[in-house]
Amino acid sequence: MKGILLARIREFIRNPFSFLLFTGISILFAWATSSATGGGSDGLPVPVYVEEGADAYENSLKEQDAFHFYMVDKEKLEQELKEGKVDTGVKLSEKHFDILVGVESPNAGLIQQAVQEVYTAETQETLIRESAENKGMNADQVISSYQEALTEGTFDLSVQSFSGEESWKYDESVQRIGGFAIFFAIYTIAYGVVKILTEKRMGLWDRMILSPIRKSEMYAANLLSSFIEGYLQILIIFSVFYFWRGITFNDRLIEILLMLIPYALTIVSLSILITALVKNVQQFNAVITITAVSLAMIGGAFWPLEIVSNPVLLFLANVNPIKYGLDIIQGVAVYGYSFTDLLLPMSVLTLMSVLFSGLGIHLMEKRHIE
Amino acid sequence: MLELVDISKRFKKVEAVKSLNMFIEQGEIVGLLGPNGAGKSTAISILSTLIEPTQGDVRFLKKSVIKKPSPLRKAIGVVPQEIALYPQLSAEENLLFFGRIYHLKGAELKQRVNEILEQIGLTEKRKALVESFSGGMKRRLNIGVAMLHSPKILIMDEPTVGIDPQSRSYILETVKRLNQENQMTVVYTSHYMEEVDYLCDRIYIMDRGNLIASGTKEEIKQILSSENTISIQANRWNDTFITQLKEHEYISNVHVEEKEITLIAPKEINLFSDIISMTEKHHIDLRSLHVKSPTLEDVFLHLTGRALRD
Repeated sequence: MKGILLARIREFIRNPFSFLLFTGISILFAWATSSATGGGSDGLPVPVYVEEGADAYENSLKEQDAFHFYMVDKEKLEQELKEGKVDTGVKLSEKHFDILVGVESPNAGLIQQAVQEVYTAETQETLIRESAENKGMNADQVISSYQEALTEGTFDLSVQSFSGEESWKYDESVQRIGGFAIFFAIYTIAYGVVKILTEKRMGLWDRMILSPIRKSEMYAANLLSSFIEGYLQILIIFSVFYFWRGITFNDRLIEILLMLIPYALTIVSLSILITALVKNVQQFNAVITITAVSLAMIGGAFWPLEIVSNPVLLFLANVNPIKYGLDIIQGVAVYGYSFTDLLLPMSVLTLMSVLFSGLGIHLMEKRHIE
Repeated sequence: MLELVDISKRFKKVEAVKSLNMFIEQGEIVGLLGPNGAGKSTAISILSTLIEPTQGDVRFLKKSVIKKPSPLRKAIGVVPQEIALYPQLSAEENLLFFGRIYHLKGAELKQRVNEILEQIGLTEKRKALVESFSGGMKRRLNIGVAMLHSPKILIMDEPTVGIDPQSRSYILETVKRLNQENQMTVVYTSHYMEEVDYLCDRIYIMDRGNLIASGTKEEIKQILSSENTISIQANRWNDTFITQLKEHEYISNVHVEEKEITLIAPKEINLFSDIISMTEKHHIDLRSLHVKSPTLEDVFLHLTGRALRD
């Protein structure tokens, strides 16, 4: 197995062009299509201009987790909107607020909702304070009891959703980088796995079968080298955006990369299944192109699944590894989910990996014997 | 030493090998001769335990190896028809790779690689990538890889396909030397009659999955001992002339090429006058008329009605 891996590494070093090409294209596409702001760091950035008398809302807005509200002057706000650096901005006044939309996006409604909550809470507090004072009660004590009741709540409520519209958050940078990284990794992995087919045709496989090396080692070495190439590509793409572009991915890049291991394994397994089903490399090239693009479109690599309403496409997305890969990336970078929160997509990917590889190797062996 | 016993192999609707019996003794070179599609490669794959026969048995040292192939696999080196090498590795790296998978290590591996490079004449090209090699050099390395673990039996499936005469000659000499100096047993398949004639002690001739003749070269040529091969050469032919030849009572196996017709006829019958009169009658511009002793090619023609390279 070590020998096969060494041979593969030597081949890779001498011919890294397809790997570099797919890595470069992924970076280029994600770079060109993602917004220029530092997405994925502390929520979606939203510039805020505060008018006189509206200072009270500033701190409450800054406490919002979903968005990164940062204060700017009026000119800067208008400039960022004009230049397309942000989709949406906010102008706070004493009695009302304005949502300024540069480019239409689903975020505008969510931002409005977040600001509305802040205004409602402030107004409610003011009313409670006035009412308490009118009745001769200690206003601070009443407010404190009110805050306590709000924090503790009457019911235990848990919300768990990737696609529920009420909880949906959209970070374009994370979406694009994640989408293109895991989409182009399919090609790198698949073209690694298909070497099994080429080696079989060349007689190399037969030569190894006659040697003392076990067949399981032959498969393991080939699949492991394909996995390493694909995973290395994902690692490079995320690192480029983390170190050069300042996308922080919620400061949890290593966790994202570790949790993407089941995704890369699933693509290796899917590739072995396709390799087992086709008759030659030409057929494989055609099938993998169609499969990868279809998976990316249905799985949400090019656009968020939340804007898809067709039930058939949504159903198909649930059997699509790209959807689960993106769930992991967005779950960590946008929603701040923990490892245990993301056990579901990781488990589904692991299950797919076991199924595809089991079926793929079985079919390949069966056909070989025939 | 190694036997195929009543072997048949069916691929879906095609029966590639039919009831083949074959034995190979230690130290001999056995040839498997036949045209493309004769079933040679299938027979070789069964012999080297790469595919299982539909029926029959493969025995090595009198023990069946179909279910337990490892004793035979340790003893054989297989030279496949394809160039089974990593093109982006050098000659030396390919040998090191295959040496390692045969569990050769350290100084022993290096020594073996050096010996093989010397034997196949690629010492000076050891660092060059295989993709830069000529067809002949690739074929030589293909053989070298199969010899790396010092096998007792070398099984070669058309090892000279598509190479220049010089490289072919080098390969044939190498095989001959391996057999004579190292007493290596060789199974050699080819559709080049002259290679098998030069190298082999015994020959099996296959056609369309059937074994049609076997024995030493002399025994096989004896099949045509009572017949001669007649070669007629002319600038062009016409159909009526060929038809008349085929209908002649003493002529068999008429094989037509562009400027030569070969046919087989009994030794005791003199056909010269008949053939000359036929050429005059059909206005054939006769250039020459030869009578030859039968070759393996003629035997094949006699047995199948087709030339080896048809």
